Amino acid sequence: MNAHQIVEAVLFASDAPLTADEIARADETLDEDRVEDAIRFLQAEYDDAERSFQVVELAEGYQVLTRPEFAPYLERFDNVPRPSRLSGPALETLAIIAYRQPLGRIEMEYIRGVGSAGVLKTLQDREMIEVVGRAEGLGRPVLYGTTARFLEHFGFKSLEELPRPEELPIILRERVQLGPEEEVEEAEADSDQLVLGEGSEATASVSSDEPDPNVAQAEETPSG
Amino acid sequence: MDLTVAEGAAPREGFLLVEVDRFQGPLDLLLHLIRTQDIDVFDIPISKITDQFLQAIRGIQAHDLDGAGEFLEMAATLVRIKAQMLLPRTEEEEDEDPRAELVRRLLEYEQIREISARLSAAEADRARRFGKGFNPPRPRRPVAETPLETTWEEVWEAALRVEMPEPRLRQHRVATRTVAMEDKIVLILDALRDTTRVEFTGLLRGFEEKIHGVMTFLAGLELTRRRILFLRQSSPFAELWIYRREDEEEGGDPEDIRPPEEEGAAQA
Repeated sequence: MNAHQIVEAVLFASDAPLTADEIARADETLDEDRVEDAIRFLQAEYDDAERSFQVVELAEGYQVLTRPEFAPYLERFDNVPRPSRLSGPALETLAIIAYRQPLGRIEMEYIRGVGSAGVLKTLQDREMIEVVGRAEGLGRPVLYGTTARFLEHFGFKSLEELPRPEELPIILRERVQLGPEEEVEEAEADSDQLVLGEGSEATASVSSDEPDPNVAQAEETPSG
Repeated sequence: MDLTVAEGAAPREGFLLVEVDRFQGPLDLLLHLIRTQDIDVFDIPISKITDQFLQAIRGIQAHDLDGAGEFLEMAATLVRIKAQMLLPRTEEEEDEDPRAELVRRLLEYEQIREISARLSAAEADRARRFGKGFNPPRPRRPVAETPLETTWEEVWEAALRVEMPEPRLRQHRVATRTVAMEDKIVLILDALRDTTRVEFTGLLRGFEEKIHGVMTFLAGLELTRRRILFLRQSSPFAELWIYRREDEEEGGDPEDIRPPEEEGAAQA
């Protein structure tokens, strides 16, 4: 029995991604490297033979999946499982968690500007996110992070595969970074330095013409 | 709810028709106002935007207080910023622009929207690939014989009896056993190579986890089934002995090779 045959058998029998390490447990002669070699061999073999399926790297592991171009044929069957698509708010919430994890509901609601308890519950039910810890401070609120199901659902190998903030076509993105932890600190420091233009014509003219002493006082009172 | 703010809106300069319904929240609406008017996000004419925002949310009805609260909160923030902008900024230069935090949130939100769109595209791509597995067919309930004539009351009663079928979630994964029974078969056969019997506990020496005991026992049962050996225990919880079955003789008397010290018990 060849290594690639054993690996193929294991991949064939699984309906979820398996890591190289998990596959290697099939036989004493296998290790991670040999499994990966075998997978490359299989991938080339399937491509050469124009098979309708491929060994796809997914969620830190590997799974045999059909090629996208066969979707129309498979979609005709009711009993072929098709994951339901997520709603706009769910995607938005998931995007924030993916880049900011771990993070809690309050922070989420501030970023989105809307209540998010319901959508967080939905994402949790669908195993896209899970509670990964608790924050320090009052009430020790739970913090959410993404799951392996999340990677599976979106076809990502790992979180590294998410679009990098610097790839996004949005102005001044470097000031509002959604990157991994080490970059967040930098981004926060930068956001403090946001330099804005002078007030708009309308407000600028009002403020220069009629500075209202009452309003000025009102501002000083609470700070004192 | 009536969220269209169409009536009486048109004539004013710089005015927009906005359906609040379409927006996922106040940030979404605000961003829409800014982007559709080509406003420099770093120099938002806060007075104009505040007016437009208030105008847009005017239609939100009180009965949708849940969603309305978020828009009202943003409206309050805008009005506060507008007021702060009117203040003469006499203090130190480093005094932050009152709009800074709002701009930061807006840019961040815009970026998240972009990421959401990319996630959505990735989701669509992934949905075009299929793995193994199936959806179990929906259970068909046997069709009951119904008399042709019926009354509305009967229909109503029948409707009340209808139960939704429980959704079933099925999943299977290939997981390898950490200890293989095949290994334990080899272990037993090796132990019996030069002797006719061996203590079960002796075979577990050097293995800590319970699973080794389980697999060794299963291996013993399997070999018994294959008529290669037989197992003997004098009483519950006593030592289990594994005997090699001599040759293939079916009628071979296993009593002959029982351990002498357990002779009495084994016969009992």
